[in-house]
Formats: sequence, structure tokens, C-alpha cells
Amino acid sequence: MKPHQRNAGLAALAVAFVVFILPFLFTFLMAVKTKKEAALFLFSWPSEWQFWANLTEVVKARNYMLLLAYFNSTLITLAAVSGLVVMGAMVGYVLQRRASGWNRLIYAGVLMGLMVPPAVVPTIWVLQGLGLFKTIHGMVLIQIAYGLSFSILLYRSFIGTIPRDLDEAARIDGARPWEIFFRVILPLLKPVTVTLIVVQSIAIFNDFTNPLYYLPGKENVTVQLTLFNFQTQFQSQFNLLFMNILLVTIPPLLVFIFFNRQIVAGMTAGGVKG
Amino acid sequence: MIRQKSPYPYWFVLPAAVVFVTLFLVPTLASLWFSLTRWDLFTAHFIGLDNYRQFFKEPFLIQGLGNTLVYAVLTSVSKSVLGLLLAVLLTSGILWQGFLRAVVFFPVLVSTIGIGITFAALMHPTKGAINVALAWVGIDGPAWLSDPALALYSVAFIDLWKGVGLATLIYIAGLAAISPDYYEAARIDGATRLQQFWRVTVPLVRPATVTVVTLSLIGGLRSFDIIWATTKGGPGFASDVLASVIYKQYQAGFYGLATAGNVILFALIALIILPLTWWLNKREVDL
Amino acid sequence: MSSVILKNLKKSFGAVGVIKGIDLLIEPGEFCVFVGPSGCGKSTLLRLIAGLEEASSGVIEIAGREVTDAEPSERGIAMVFQSYALYPHLTVRENIGFGLSLARLPKAEIAAKVQAAAEILQLGPLLDRKPKALSGGQRQRVAIGRAMVRDPKVFLLDEPLSNLDAALRAQMRMELTDLHRKLGATMIYVTHDQVEAMTMADKIVVLNGGRIEQVGSPMELYNAPVSPFVAGFIGSPKMNLVPRDGGTFGIRPEHLDLSTSAGLWEGTVRHVERLGAESILYLATQEMGELTIRIQGQDCPALGARAFATPQPGRAFHFQAA
Repeated sequence: MKPHQRNAGLAALAVAFVVFILPFLFTFLMAVKTKKEAALFLFSWPSEWQFWANLTEVVKARNYMLLLAYFNSTLITLAAVSGLVVMGAMVGYVLQRRASGWNRLIYAGVLMGLMVPPAVVPTIWVLQGLGLFKTIHGMVLIQIAYGLSFSILLYRSFIGTIPRDLDEAARIDGARPWEIFFRVILPLLKPVTVTLIVVQSIAIFNDFTNPLYYLPGKENVTVQLTLFNFQTQFQSQFNLLFMNILLVTIPPLLVFIFFNRQIVAGMTAGGVKG
Repeated sequence: MIRQKSPYPYWFVLPAAVVFVTLFLVPTLASLWFSLTRWDLFTAHFIGLDNYRQFFKEPFLIQGLGNTLVYAVLTSVSKSVLGLLLAVLLTSGILWQGFLRAVVFFPVLVSTIGIGITFAALMHPTKGAINVALAWVGIDGPAWLSDPALALYSVAFIDLWKGVGLATLIYIAGLAAISPDYYEAARIDGATRLQQFWRVTVPLVRPATVTVVTLSLIGGLRSFDIIWATTKGGPGFASDVLASVIYKQYQAGFYGLATAGNVILFALIALIILPLTWWLNKREVDL
Repeated sequence: MSSVILKNLKKSFGAVGVIKGIDLLIEPGEFCVFVGPSGCGKSTLLRLIAGLEEASSGVIEIAGREVTDAEPSERGIAMVFQSYALYPHLTVRENIGFGLSLARLPKAEIAAKVQAAAEILQLGPLLDRKPKALSGGQRQRVAIGRAMVRDPKVFLLDEPLSNLDAALRAQMRMELTDLHRKLGATMIYVTHDQVEAMTMADKIVVLNGGRIEQVGSPMELYNAPVSPFVAGFIGSPKMNLVPRDGGTFGIRPEHLDLSTSAGLWEGTVRHVERLGAESILYLATQEMGELTIRIQGQDCPALGARAFATPQPGRAFHFQAA
């Protein structure tokens, strides 16, 4: 490493520390302070560490609502991501393998899905008509509908790298279409599937807007909604509010530490043309 | 003459198509109709273009439209410029490069609501860490989020802080795709580092620029949660954008008006993005 | 052992005809090679027989049964792909047994069949590896094993040796011929390499532009080509073909005698390739243009020297213009 690279690195580290790390440090410090000290908003070391006390109080608040929220968010995320993997891969597969006039129509849909903001009130109207409004499975289907376009494009470009010979070999081996897909193609999609799971899990777990519209009510709270509602409820208990933020930040942090490579692959896939 | 069955049957598309059509396409198409009605979710009364008329008559709704444009352009341009500069810095082999990339990128993955609340505290006019720090150097910091003249820009800054990591990441991938041969050729031709940046990097990283600009522009036009978590569109309507206006109309029970807002947002995105992508792709450098 | 019969088989992609009417009988147990330059339709013809492409018109019969519209898996065929097309996520054992497990055969039966194929192909120690961990030749054998366990009436092989290096290719030619003798099955083999065709085939089908140019045993094609195309394609170095009297005159390089004193066609030596056992000499003549001449041994005239070429009696061909 040349000296200027070291100096530039040190300068960048200093700036990054102030700009990007201090806000997180601030969150952490607020979360472990006492109620009184947190209300001062000061960027200071806590005089009294209240980590466990704050943690248990946040978890117990409003009759363990946070636990319910974690359960709901996890359920929605798991179900929606599973749906996105299977449906996205199936569409991407047909789209990549079969050239026909329908493809233009599918592409038009995919493009719309990426660009067009959902029409929220009419969506509520449809959900109500189907009995899916304010339900977890309604929320799951919404997340699938909104995430499909990205999944389809990601899978389509990856399936392009799998030789068609494999499909044909399986066909000659007597595989029916769904057997070709589920026994040959889908297992080979594992790298891109991991990427998709990681990226979509974070997006769905962090989603605020859609649960706000489609999942109002106390029974079905999600993690982000709870945090938002705590904001008004804990107006005077900033230590608890920031403890809640800390808890919401930890899942993505863990995912980031373990799946950094897949996240980078998935996020840059948006930039890959084709 | 199709006799054999294709190994790639169209029923594979069916589950996805059913979900997408019912929960995305149908509402989108229905919005065109409902935006022309007075609507309480059960009965819709046709009122022609009244909702749209009202939208363009109410000053705060027009302000929302203007704010949306300002916000989207501001965040998109700043993310692209800063993203490219950061990407160049973070591919130059500096100390702790990998760690720095991770630090810049991490906010992308964090809950927007959490970030909004954190920054609302940091930007507090009297107690917030930002103004406390400014006071040390003798500057009387402004009311970042509660000054009507400033609120929109402060939120845009928070958005930039959260989103610049994604732009950086896409640019890093774009830079990696440029063959080092071009830089060597430019150096042999006697180009300085600044000339290399303008004459080699900027033109050749164009595909990444197209992606970053389009993605962040669409994101900026649709932006809602960061605004809702920090200012709720306030003070007054100073930082309201279309998405928050839609939510407010929805909360107030003006479903037809909210839906008209949706159609306007949709039209706005189409009007900006379609010509822009066409223009950006047309000018793409052939390699 | 089963025959394959093609009757007026045609295939077009859109407006482009690729297979323009093929009639062919492949006898039971025969090793039949489709050969021709790239784009001649040989791979498409194989894929039509496999059922991977749909015929536009015509009839395909395998073992006396019409299969023109049948699914590939119902035709009693097995195929070895140029890329081998091994399933990367499965072990060698699972690759070979994949078709059997799809057919829901009992596990013990699958294991026995896989074992039997592995023994013939000497794949025993490799059964639990993934394709990634195999050499080119080993992958090739796994692909053949996967074809074998299906007990096909007809083996289809699509340029199976073209991804191997030259030495391995020669060895695999021998192994494949051995295997054919051992199994006695009908095999259809596609290649663009006339050496593979000559060394392995019972019957060669020369294809050109979607039509059959000539069908026959290797020596029939060598000794009695019906057209300049076949004459030029079979044999190496290529036969000398010279336009003459509105048709084409042909003489193989090994059927020209060289002399430094006298002969039919006079010319100057333009280029010499010495291969050790034989030499290839290029003679620029006034009358016949450039002639390729094959000489035993290493003795040949120097570059630029004058020399004469004379065709051996009864070895020349005259092709009438079509």
C-alpha cells in the first residue's frame, strides 16, 4: 500500500466514523440510558447502564406486543420469500427458455411492477372483496405481488447461464416438465436463490408502508409498525424507543455479516443489463 | 402445428400471474375509474374530473407535487454524484477499503423508520447532537426538521445518507467492469488522473449511471416512509410529497381523491422515467 | 437391436428449411455416422430422431413403431450430448440413475443397473463424485453410462468427442467402437470430423444443405464418391478437384505420382509439409492449378524446383455437373 493510499484511507475512516458510525453509536447509547438521561438527547456515555432493564421493558410493553410483531414479521417474510422463490423462478424459467409472443406481455407486466407505484386504495378494495384485508396471508400475497418483478428478472438472467442440454437430457431421461424444473433446474439455482432470499427478506422485514395500509389493527402488528407506534407512545421514554430501534437493526446486521457477498450480488444485479 | 407438449408449459406462469394480476394489475386499472368518483369503498359516485381539479386547485396539493419533484431530483442527483465519487475512492486500494464499503452500505439494510427516528433526535433544534456540535464551533444551527424552508432538504439529506451506499455499490460493480487497459492506454497518452476520470471513467461507467439514476429517481418519486417517520409532511405541508398526500387523503376518508393522487404519481413517474431511460439508452456508448 | 427409418423427413424453422426431405434406413445394430460441415443439418436430424425437435412433415420409425409425434422419453432412445449435460448437483451414481428414479423403479433395481453400467465403463471408484470433480474422458463415460442404463433401442451421440483433446479422442474412438460391439445396439453418431466417421462407422451418411449427398460404408465413400462434395469431404488431405469440360475432375493426393524428370503435368514446388512417414507437396501447375501430392517418406524436391505429376491409372474421377 502506497503512503497516499494509507493517508486517504485514514481520512476516509475518520469521515466515515463521524458520518456513518456515530448515528448508530448514538442509537446504542440512547438505548442503554435511563429514561431521564435519554431525554437529554446528549451524545454522552451513559452514567448508568440499563441494557437489560430497558430490553425487558420494551419486550413487555403493551402486553408483549414486540414479540407478536416479531412473530408476524417473521411469518410474513418467510411465507412471502418462499412464494417469491418458487413463482419467480418458474416465470423466469419459462421466460428465458420459451420464445413466444406471450413474453412481451410478461415483460410489460414485469416492467410495470418495477416502476408503477401500487394504487393503494383500490388494492384495499380488492383485498376486502377477497376477505384478505387485515390478514397475514393477504399481506404475504401483497409482498409476493410487489416483489415478483425483481425475482423474475434475477432468475431469468441466471437461468440463461444454465445450458439447455440439461433440460433436454432430463427430458430424454423421462422427466415431465415439473420434474425438469424442480429436480434439475431449481437445485441449480441455489446461488441466486440465496441472494434473492437475503435481499427480499430484508426488504420485506423492513417494509413499513405496505403493512401501514394493508395490515392495520393491533392483532397483526409488524415490527416496523410497532416501532412507528412506539414513537408516539414512548414520547417521554426515549431509552425504550431507541432500544426498540436497536432490536429492529440487529436482524439486518446479522444477515449483513453472514451474507454480505450474496447481498452485494443481489443489489448489483439491478445494474446488470439483459 | 403443435403436437408435442412444450417442456416449458405456460401453467408455470399461472400462480405468479394470478397473484400479480389480482393484487397489482386489477387495482392499478381500477384506480383509473375510482379516481373519477367520490368513493367510500362500497359505493362509487361518478364525479368526472373533480378529484383532479381539486388536486390542482388546492395549494398544499400542488406544493406536494412540487416537493415530490424537488425531492426526487435532489436525492437522485446527489446519490449519483456522491455514489460515483465514493465508488472511485473505495476501488482505489485505500486502507481498510472493505470495511469502509461495508460501513457506507450498511444503512441501506436498516429499517427506514429506525433511521428516521434516530435522525429526528440528532436533528432536534436545541438538544440534537448536530446543533450541539455546531454550537461548539460557534454556529447557531437551524431547526432542521421544523423550519418549513428547510424540512424537505433535511429529509432529502437523511434519504441520501441511507441510500448512497446502494449507488456506491452499483458504481463499484460498474467500475469493476471497465478493463484496466483503458486506463493504461490513457496514461500512455499522457492523461492526468483528473482527465482519466472525466474521459475514461465517466463515459465507460454509464450503464451504472443509468441504473443509479433510474432507480433512485423512481425511489425518490415514490418516497414515503422516511418522510412519514421524520416530519409526517410537516411542518404544515412544507415537506409533503405525493405519497404522503395520498396517505393523508386516505386517512381522511377521501378515497377517490387519494386514488387520483395515485394516478397522478403514476403519470408523473411514467412521464419522467420513460423519456429518460429512452434518452439515456440511446446515448449509450457502444463498446 | 432396432432399425430406424426416416421417410421424407422435413424440418423448417420459420421460412428456413433445415432438413429438406430425408429418406434413410438404418439397420438394426448398425453404427451409423451423420457427417457434414457445420450447418448441414446433421445435428437437427439427430434431434428430430430424439424428439427434441418436432418434424415439420415426414415419418420417423424406431423399431418398427412410428414415433414421429412421440415424447423423447417414449421413443426408446438415449442420447449423449456434446457437452455431456451431466446434472452438476448430482453424483455420478445419481446422474446415471436419474432416469430410472424418475420411472419410480425400486431402489435395489436402480442400484444394480447403475453398478452394471459402472463396471462396463470402469466408473466404479467415481460413483460418489460430482461431475465437477471428473476429467473430460470420465464425464464422457458417465454420459454414456446414463444412456446405457435406459436400455435404449437406439443410442444417439451428438459430437461426443469434440470436447476432448486429440490423444483422448483417439482412445475414446476405440472404446466407443468396443462398446458398440459389446452392446450390439443401434447407434447414430453425429460428427463433423471425417476421421471419426471413417474409423467408426458401418454406414456413413454425408449431409449437405439439409439433404443426403451419399450413403454407404466408409470404403464405398472413399472409393466411389458420387459428387465432388463427398469426394472432397472424405479423405485427408482433400482430393484435388479441378473444373473441367463443364464438370469436375478429381484425383486424390495419394494417387498422384511425382517425378523430377517427366510426367503429365509440369509445375513448380510451392510448399512442402514433411510429416516423417509421409510428405505433402503442393505443386503449382499451369494446366491443373495447384495440386496436392502425397509422397511416402521424406524425399521430395526442393522448394521452387520443377516437378511433374502423373495420375495413377484408373484412380481419377469425372463428376458431371448436376
